[in-house]
Amino acid sequence: MKRIGLFVCWCGSNIGGVIDVPKVVQEAGNFPGVVYATDYKYMCSEPGQDTIIKAIKEHNLDRVVVASCTPRLHEPTFRKTIAKAGLNPYMFEMANIREQCTWVHSDDKEGATKKAVALIKRALAKVSKVEPLFESYIPITKKALVIGGGIAGMQVAIDIADAGHQVILVEREPTIGGKMAMLDKTFPTLDCSA
Amino acid sequence: MVAAAQHPNIKLMTYCEVTDVSGYIGNFEVTIKQKPRYVDHVKCTGCGTCTEKCPTKVPSEYDLGIGNRKCIYIDFPTAVPSKPLIDAENCRYFKTGKCGVCKKICPTGAIDFDQKEEFIQEKVGAIVMATGFDLFNWDEAYGEYGYGRFKDVITGLHFERMSNASGLTGGKIIRPSDGKEPKSVVFIKCVGSRDEAKGKEYCSRACCMYTAKHAHQVIDKIEGSSAYIFYMDVRTPGKAYDEFYRRTVEEGAQYIRGRVSKIYQSGDKLIVMGADTLLGRQVTVEADLVVLATAMIPSEGSDIIAQMVGCQTDKNGFYQEAHPKLRPVETMTGGLFLAGACQGPKDIPDTVSQASGAAVKVVAMFSKDELAADPMITEINENLCSGCLVCKGVCPYKAIEEKTITERIGGKPVERVVASVNTALCQGCGNCTVACRAGAANLKGFTNQQVLAEVDTLCR
Amino acid sequence: MSIATEFNPIIVGFNCNWCSYAGADLAGVSRMKYPANVRVIRVPCSGRVNPSFVLRAFQKGADGVLVSG
Repeated sequence: MKRIGLFVCWCGSNIGGVIDVPKVVQEAGNFPGVVYATDYKYMCSEPGQDTIIKAIKEHNLDRVVVASCTPRLHEPTFRKTIAKAGLNPYMFEMANIREQCTWVHSDDKEGATKKAVALIKRALAKVSKVEPLFESYIPITKKALVIGGGIAGMQVAIDIADAGHQVILVEREPTIGGKMAMLDKTFPTLDCSA
Repeated sequence: MVAAAQHPNIKLMTYCEVTDVSGYIGNFEVTIKQKPRYVDHVKCTGCGTCTEKCPTKVPSEYDLGIGNRKCIYIDFPTAVPSKPLIDAENCRYFKTGKCGVCKKICPTGAIDFDQKEEFIQEKVGAIVMATGFDLFNWDEAYGEYGYGRFKDVITGLHFERMSNASGLTGGKIIRPSDGKEPKSVVFIKCVGSRDEAKGKEYCSRACCMYTAKHAHQVIDKIEGSSAYIFYMDVRTPGKAYDEFYRRTVEEGAQYIRGRVSKIYQSGDKLIVMGADTLLGRQVTVEADLVVLATAMIPSEGSDIIAQMVGCQTDKNGFYQEAHPKLRPVETMTGGLFLAGACQGPKDIPDTVSQASGAAVKVVAMFSKDELAADPMITEINENLCSGCLVCKGVCPYKAIEEKTITERIGGKPVERVVASVNTALCQGCGNCTVACRAGAANLKGFTNQQVLAEVDTLCR
Repeated sequence: MSIATEFNPIIVGFNCNWCSYAGADLAGVSRMKYPANVRVIRVPCSGRVNPSFVLRAFQKGADGVLVSG
């Protein structure tokens, strides 16, 4: 039997100010397989992450759903969190109830609450089907290509080269320097630009 | 510049263009085109005799056409490398087959009219885009400033070339039309910036400061001169910036808040008509020289490189960072980083900071020997795979290969072909899973079963 | 007796993680507004959307499906 943990974030008032979080926890918590459901002011904070770790251990959870912001922001954060608690980091799914719910439906609190429940149930359905995944490792060629030899390109090249790595600096013009080499003294110190 | 050229770890490739990029984070393969210089830089000592003797003069790109250069030339005295190249488009030898003076007089025999373009392959782990900016073509948009008809209406960069001690005029500010020293100089800010109708809606960030610097230089270098600056706002949010602007005002620069509506020629003067919105009246200034602070735009050709390396651009064509606040030097493509004005208008302090930031990201990546690859990639069920390889055709990353497996059928070993996924190349787009009729290809992390479960729940 | 005429469709969106899902996030960051009956499923690429997913959505009662990428 799957043992899902559901953690709904308030994100201060970003989420909690629009939807009825306790109601959402209660409704989505009825989903088959959910053995623990709770909410917290800021899930991504250290106490928030500790809540998840503690719950995984206490309730013997084998997979987790966090309902908060977009996975494009904090998916890596929470994967690390559950890995700390000994779970495979891919036994995880996020429900995006901030960017794609409360922020766009702040004028329709009831609709937003309903949608949040639907989005969380989607994540719960997905997490019920996930399996552990394992990263593979690929080698790195420790050499950098910098395209453009103006002040930005030169600075990048020098900094990487100073760290001991090979750099190829490509410039389409006959000389490096870019626009900067055309300039006279530069503000605010009026020193030479070359 | 010299520091970059002399660094033992930096391979400098000037007059080169990146023509192809393939591969992925940690393992890119790039093709770089070396354009022919017609001068063998190994033999050339940079003595400069050829440049002296070359009979053909053309307008200098570096001095923005204000001055001339020869057809075998070095851009400017401190150029790196400080060895010349031949401009084949204008060279007499290339045009008529006659001349060849440079070849005759070169003491080391470095001139090689037969040089061809060369293509060089390199393997790299990270790519940093630092393609910089160009200036907005104001003369195509601003009729009220004369569409470039008036010789004495110039851009800030022209002004820099004049006031630069190694520039054509040796640091003297003159009128391009007659070479006289201008006594009255008008500066116009936000030409193409913050102007949705004719230019770009964004602020180019550096113009307020360099215009203050130009005004200071006019007052400082030309005795009895006056500098007028037409502005919309003065934006000086940088360390020691506002102090600099204040100093320029105290030196006597006259800031006029308002736009210029018309410039016209009257005798050898330019009449600048504009509004002073603080006084609420029209103003007319007789100017000897007008300097425009034109908007920064992405450099020409940056869109082509963006497509090549898979870098997203924003609506103005600047390279798109992964996150405006939290990941300002990274892109959505792994192993690809941004530095400088290619990401958006920037002044020098910001450019240097961002460049160092990008360098740290690259160095951090290089600090490991291996990269963890995303496990959300395609998996082939060999039992179901019919070996039709339709998947191979739809894979944008060339990640699917043929593999021969041996099975025992009726006690006899039988060989057959199945699809196999290169885990380093697969980017997990899942196109193959849709193309696979047998349902043998499935995407880990986004399996058919998972997506269908999501659909079922959402529709309930 | 009045009949409820309000049509509140269920719309399922399949959004590419790299473009339109990010776009939907940006709509949120920019505090734009749209009706709450659009629900998005994140896919790694619009090319991942098997036609059977779309059919399944209609079969299960969706009124509209948006595939974008």
